Amino acid sequence: MSTTYKVPIGPVHVGLKEPVTAWLELDGERIVGARVRPGAIHRGIEFMARERNPIQVIYLSERICGICSFSHVLCFIRAIEDLAGMTVPVRGQYIRTLVLELERVHSHLLWAGVACYTIGFDSAFHLGMQLRERVMDILELLTGNRVNYGVATFGGVRWDVTPELAKAMREMIRYYRREFTPFRDIVMDDPIAHARMRGVGVLTGEEAVRYSATGPTARASGLRIDLRKSSPYEAYGDIPVEPIVPQDHFGAARGDVLDRFAVRVMEVYQSLDVLEKVLDGLPEGPYAAEANLNKVLASLKKAEGTGWGIIEAPRGDDTHVVHLKGGDENVYWWKVRAPTYANAVSWPLMFRGNELADAPLIINSIDPCISCMERMMVTDGRGDPRVVTRAELLERCRRKTFDMMGRRA
Amino acid sequence: MTSKFRKTAMACGILADALKARFGEALLKLETHEHKGGAANETLYRDLWVEVAPETFRPFIEALFEYDFVNFHVISGDDTGDDVELNYHLSLFQRTRGGRVGITLTVRVPKAALSLPSIFDVLPGSEYSEREVREMFGVDFDGLPNKTLVFLPEDWDEEIKPWRRDATGPTPEHVRELS
Repeated sequence: MSTTYKVPIGPVHVGLKEPVTAWLELDGERIVGARVRPGAIHRGIEFMARERNPIQVIYLSERICGICSFSHVLCFIRAIEDLAGMTVPVRGQYIRTLVLELERVHSHLLWAGVACYTIGFDSAFHLGMQLRERVMDILELLTGNRVNYGVATFGGVRWDVTPELAKAMREMIRYYRREFTPFRDIVMDDPIAHARMRGVGVLTGEEAVRYSATGPTARASGLRIDLRKSSPYEAYGDIPVEPIVPQDHFGAARGDVLDRFAVRVMEVYQSLDVLEKVLDGLPEGPYAAEANLNKVLASLKKAEGTGWGIIEAPRGDDTHVVHLKGGDENVYWWKVRAPTYANAVSWPLMFRGNELADAPLIINSIDPCISCMERMMVTDGRGDPRVVTRAELLERCRRKTFDMMGRRA
Repeated sequence: MTSKFRKTAMACGILADALKARFGEALLKLETHEHKGGAANETLYRDLWVEVAPETFRPFIEALFEYDFVNFHVISGDDTGDDVELNYHLSLFQRTRGGRVGITLTVRVPKAALSLPSIFDVLPGSEYSEREVREMFGVDFDGLPNKTLVFLPEDWDEEIKPWRRDATGPTPEHVRELS
């Protein structure tokens, strides 16, 4: 008679980068059932937006996620532009595309490095982290920030691409074409890395379709879907992008962790090509339709309706839906659906028949962003004395200074 | 039903006409949003915004499957007073360039009968969204196997529906200002 045991992984676990709980049912080392329970990091961002005007919400939406912050901002902005019928100058569209692709390079490099760390391949992890610095430098050069770029606004962008910056970006593209290949080869040709990722966490193509998987997770299962192709936006209207699927490179799509790794690695090269094309085609002209934010805000105050923004973020399709009420300055309601929200539904399928030791790798293989997925609100009113709010912390910090001053006096 | 996305696309206008011919008066709203972009400022893709009554909801979803396997994105919504308005965001025809048609299907569920058929059996990817709408708005999904909380904490008082704007919604004392 076999006995099964239930083992929780998370919400806090060394193998996880963000809090989520997976209850795994085990028969020996094999996972026979899995139940995922998110909810540990819901922050109520959609609720907070109801007391803020759309321009303030730009900066709030940026804080949904540190890695794909621009994707969320752009998605929110496109939803507003959809409902208010705003247009974006072509140069603005091209700069948006540049930042999107820089962000994709950054996200995929970070993920590839972390995936190596998860399987204990620390030298590759450090190489990945080192590679990631260059794109962060470029993002900082363009926007002033390494994360939360503050670069997007309604009807365009806030910063221009100068000739010096364009030169630095071209150097970055050359750097990655040269330096990323050794990283790819070290991991993809390593027999141990291969063994750890091949056949692990399989999601078949049919399941990916049924469970509405998205982004690299769906493409690794062989689905030729990419919003940059199926519903182009911004500069993708001029620059065609083809979905990257493993069957074109390895003959078949297995939908396992190695395929997810390979798809992301190949998408880095694809992003470099797109970046180059954007720089080649960068048109002259204004980069924002209206620089005066008060005018933008006044026009948005009159706008009424629901808008839908949907773009291909690094992890999959990101969906924002916004409703503005005429005469009301604040966002009336807002729904964010990050790619992880869609891909996490497939986790229980990926766990089936795998070993317990592979669970963190499988969880990480969809490149989960739990903070993106969970944004809801409030406390339960009963209060939790263990939680220290920012105001209390500030108060304590100041009190300590005053106490020390008192002692000195 | 094979779980595959079709390789060809149907033009948004043709799909809209087909749906109109099929559902007639049952389509309470049928609008097209065009999305322009690129150097030529051409229409790059189109979305359909449709509204149906709760009794037409499930037949409408099933009808969409005859054109392509539906890709589910999310359910958004709002408390509009007497109803809870739900918007299902879906996609068809994702294989060709510019061929994708985004569909926003609106259903107004009266608060007097807050229930809607689940689409979990045909689109299991909708599980989190249905559970989220259930815990946030109090809409019951008939046929949804797992009706436990998804994002709210285990000790949540389920009488409080965070996204509602009426007496069941959160009151100011439920909200803790963090700064």
